[in-house]
Amino acid sequence: MNPLELTLGIMTAVGGFVDISELVFAAKAGSTFGYALIWVFAFATIGIIVFSEMSGRVAAVAKQPVFNLMRHRLGLKLGLVTLIASVISSLITCAAEVGGVALILNYLTGAPYLILAVGLTVALIASIWVIPFEWIERSYGLLGLFMVVFAAALVAIHPPWHQIASGFVPQVPKGLTTKELLTFGYFAVAIVSAVMFPYEVYFYSSGGIEEGWSVKDLLTNRLTSILGMGLGSLLAISILASSAQLFGPANVDPEIPGTAALQAAIPFGKWGLILALLGMFFAVAGAAVETCLANAYSIAQFFGWKWGRHKKPWEAPRFTITWIALFIAALAIVLTGVDVMTLVEFAILFSILVLPLTYLPLLLLAGDRKFMGQYANGAIAKVLGWFYFAVVGCAAIAALPLYFLTSGGNG
Amino acid sequence: MRAPMGICILCLAACSSGPSADLQYIKQARSIGAEWALVNEQAQADQLTSTYVESMHQWLRDGLSTASSSLTEPRSAYGAEIRTLLAEPADAAPETLRGHVNKLKRIEDQLESA
Repeated sequence: MNPLELTLGIMTAVGGFVDISELVFAAKAGSTFGYALIWVFAFATIGIIVFSEMSGRVAAVAKQPVFNLMRHRLGLKLGLVTLIASVISSLITCAAEVGGVALILNYLTGAPYLILAVGLTVALIASIWVIPFEWIERSYGLLGLFMVVFAAALVAIHPPWHQIASGFVPQVPKGLTTKELLTFGYFAVAIVSAVMFPYEVYFYSSGGIEEGWSVKDLLTNRLTSILGMGLGSLLAISILASSAQLFGPANVDPEIPGTAALQAAIPFGKWGLILALLGMFFAVAGAAVETCLANAYSIAQFFGWKWGRHKKPWEAPRFTITWIALFIAALAIVLTGVDVMTLVEFAILFSILVLPLTYLPLLLLAGDRKFMGQYANGAIAKVLGWFYFAVVGCAAIAALPLYFLTSGGNG
Repeated sequence: MRAPMGICILCLAACSSGPSADLQYIKQARSIGAEWALVNEQAQADQLTSTYVESMHQWLRDGLSTASSSLTEPRSAYGAEIRTLLAEPADAAPETLRGHVNKLKRIEDQLESA
């Protein structure tokens, strides 16, 4: 294990953890329910750590990416249903990320939003084409570390630390009306969905194969999952806590993503604002790249095409055409003028519906001793895996009714 | 039997009109007004870049227009309040904007407790 590689891997995971959905829902959750939803972020983070570690382990031991397994485990018909659902979910997510990046660049430059969306899509495509795979994830993740300004801003505003600490204890605030309880439920489901987005697992496991992981990388996989995602989640929790402190009392329920940047501007002024916007820009741009590649990986793996960015683009032509086409499709959605916040809500809804189908085959395979040998799930991974599978199953059932009954969390 | 009833309840929730259906847009407008006030307050204290302030004003105004045009009862008291808020200049004083926010918040609380 190379310590430099490990540190870079962990820092990349930290910088790449927050995407547009987490940004939006962390800020909204804090302003609406104070610190009471911090535990949901922590809880969902353990879930994504469990499944990321599992998918990385399967990639290292069995050399099988998630979608390949899905087709074999679920059968062709159910596998195809899962593929279609996950492609729709990741495409909407990618559109939300592309729209989000264009919006953030609009706050930085003032250039027209739709022109920025077109220019950014071209730039993102060029970056995937030109940069070697290892550095695609790494450059966006490391530059996303500007987001650390949100954690510094939280410290600078002297929040009530004891209340933040008590937010880590699972709770439902007392005295809520039925409507508020439903809204709390909707936010909880949305946060679970935003943190456990299926594209993260597709991308992580395919990335492991791209980088040629083997059993000697299992410790790196475990540490990257636990430390990288755990620390990344603290950034999202910082946004939630600052929002509870600054936005809740001011009657602000952030309706546009740019409002979150005020959290850094209030204590640090213009430089705080610029660092926050740069961090948001790179983190969300990284998520746009990951969702698009994850989608192309899924399609290519399902149909058995040659895939991977470790190959030259023309060596895997169908894979290359797919990820470019997906970026263009995401841009086309943005160009219809649909609101980014609406895209975020749809991305959350579709993703939670796909989550159980994503995690079931992974759970079955990672626990299969015939396939994984001594590296199959142990008792802890097994219990946590099935527990979180039940959680995402319940969340998937509750998501649509909660969305309609609460008008997408707006009461 | 329960499943169709559940679907009916969801449809009713999604298709209703009147003040309760407008509540989400009132909340949206109240929040946008409060965001606008916060932006102007920080801009006055020279904490923000002018580009950010201009962009935020544009997006906040767009959001407010959408909320206003989505109301099922635009001739109501809250409809008028949202239009008054929308008519404020971009660099309106934070106190003025918060005055509108407080009025919308009172209407929102009344509707929620009804």
